[in-house]
Amino acid sequence: MSAARPAARSLISRRMTSASVTAPLSSSPSSRLAPSAPSTCHHFHSSAQMAVRRRPRFRNIPAEEMGLVTDQKIDKWAAKKFPKYTPEEMQELSKNYSPEQIAALEAGEASIDPRDLTIQGRLRTDSYRMPYIDDFADIQPIIDKRPKRQPPPDPMARFMNLDEFTEDLIQWSQDLKKGEKTGTLKRLEEFVPNKYKKAPESEWPAEVKAEAVAKFSSYIEGEAFKEKLSTTDRSDGPSDSDVLEYILERSSMTDNNLKSNSFMAPALPNKVPGVAGLYKNAVDPEDRGLDEEGVYQDLKKRTGMTLDQILKITVKTVVTRYVTNQTRLGKIQTCNIIALAGNRDGWLGLGVASSVEFQIAKRKAELLAIQNMQPIRRYEDRTIYGNVEAKISGTVVRLNARPPGFGLRVSHRIFEMCRAAGIKDLAATIPRSRNPMNTVKAVFEALKNQPDPEEIAIGRGKKLVDVRKVYYGGQVY
Amino acid sequence: MGVHSIANVCSHLQNAARARLGLTSLPNNKYNLALALALHRAGFLSSVTRAGPHPPPQDQLLSFEPEPVTSANVATRRLWVGLKYWDNKPVLKSLKAISKPSRSLRASVAELNQVARGFEAAHLKGLNLGECMFVSTDRGVLEVREALERKVGGIVLCRVS
Repeated sequence: MSAARPAARSLISRRMTSASVTAPLSSSPSSRLAPSAPSTCHHFHSSAQMAVRRRPRFRNIPAEEMGLVTDQKIDKWAAKKFPKYTPEEMQELSKNYSPEQIAALEAGEASIDPRDLTIQGRLRTDSYRMPYIDDFADIQPIIDKRPKRQPPPDPMARFMNLDEFTEDLIQWSQDLKKGEKTGTLKRLEEFVPNKYKKAPESEWPAEVKAEAVAKFSSYIEGEAFKEKLSTTDRSDGPSDSDVLEYILERSSMTDNNLKSNSFMAPALPNKVPGVAGLYKNAVDPEDRGLDEEGVYQDLKKRTGMTLDQILKITVKTVVTRYVTNQTRLGKIQTCNIIALAGNRDGWLGLGVASSVEFQIAKRKAELLAIQNMQPIRRYEDRTIYGNVEAKISGTVVRLNARPPGFGLRVSHRIFEMCRAAGIKDLAATIPRSRNPMNTVKAVFEALKNQPDPEEIAIGRGKKLVDVRKVYYGGQVY
Repeated sequence: MGVHSIANVCSHLQNAARARLGLTSLPNNKYNLALALALHRAGFLSSVTRAGPHPPPQDQLLSFEPEPVTSANVATRRLWVGLKYWDNKPVLKSLKAISKPSRSLRASVAELNQVARGFEAAHLKGLNLGECMFVSTDRGVLEVREALERKVGGIVLCRVS
């Protein structure tokens, strides 16, 4: 502290003395030209200070001195670059704009001096400039939002009923032909009793309306038939392209053919009248009604199995786990399921699926299990080859081959797997973690990774012989 | 030279197989040579060649005429062994030393008999399918089945599968 003080004080005093010395000097005009004393203001580098301001070795000449930026030159350039509207141009503009707009244009022109534009009108080069040069007259699809020229779609719009559709069709054909033949056709209103003729269609009683519609449609059909009989030349009717245009471009909803900004087709209502209840899954007649819901159709295509073969497969859910995710919207519980599938004769598959719905998860897992079935090698079709070990996460599973009649001395999930795969003699230990999911996965891995005597023999170039049935005259098992 | 060089060979060969090496070298000594030849007999190695610090030409691995070992060049000799792969997997998958310098393990004929049949004996687990065990006997380094044929026991070196 005591060491730092004198230095700090001397620095401050030096600074103050230099300020006091330079201040009177700067007031005299001669001192401006004289090289000033080394400044004592802060430097942010350690290199030696320059005595005077650096001057370039070759003197540059300002443009003003060369007469390039004189007032006359500026005005000349401005007049050339930003000319006023000529009378012809004004006449041309007055065709497109109203007198008020022309007045606004002239006011705008008058408010900006071309000289200012010449001197100040610069393209910005600073780092805060717009990333593009634009007067915002054009819409750039990448930068700008798409303009919404159409009004929002009618939320109350619904699909037209038969009458509305007929009316719409007649309207279209009238527009098409401007009422040559269709203009003379009767309307639906003409088929109702007189007392309803003035009332709007929605107030007609149901039976009256149905009767009128029936009469109207038969009348239309009759007219069409008459037309067909009377004219052999069909060239005056709507062409195919007209009809296609009608189908593709005319709205089938009661929104007066309103255009929308949305590229999406309007959503179908829950029950489309006339189609409700007619949706059905593709049912294969080969299934003989065993798969009405169409659950196995996709699986049949994937595996190439028939439904009978699929239904014969042993499917069992071995692991069920519920996982709960806490979200803003509450706890969301998901069900994770491992199902296994096997034909009890050397094929085994695992399916892992999860869903919020237990039943969906189960079905998904079972279908996946059937799809994932693969052959498991079995020694004498009853046990495995040698001893196998597999590890999934912290779960280690050791499977040991056992003699005939030993049975399945394994835990229950491994038991189910062995039964589905057709393994009858096995011992298993799970020395470490016994997590159900990992146990099942590890057993499947172990069963897939059994040593293969044939492969070993080929690899080593040795002959390997199974001697189990060599002794006792082969009288074993 | 004791079993410590054998333990090193075991680790080295297993590492080399996992690194998918085709040819690797071991220190040249009698014990290593005996084990390498036993592994070769059992079909785990494709070739065993004694050569200098550089690998012998690969086209002559089996017909290579090594220069005679003299006291001048004996220190630079290496055993070059070829590793085998089948079906994109190493033939020699795992090689585990049993006897270590700190604890050598001996097995009698009866014990080897049990082990070879897959049963546990003399602190040795039974052999699994396709597994081999190498024993150092007074008839040289032998595979356990060779030792049983000759009815000799000895120091159990390693198990290979």
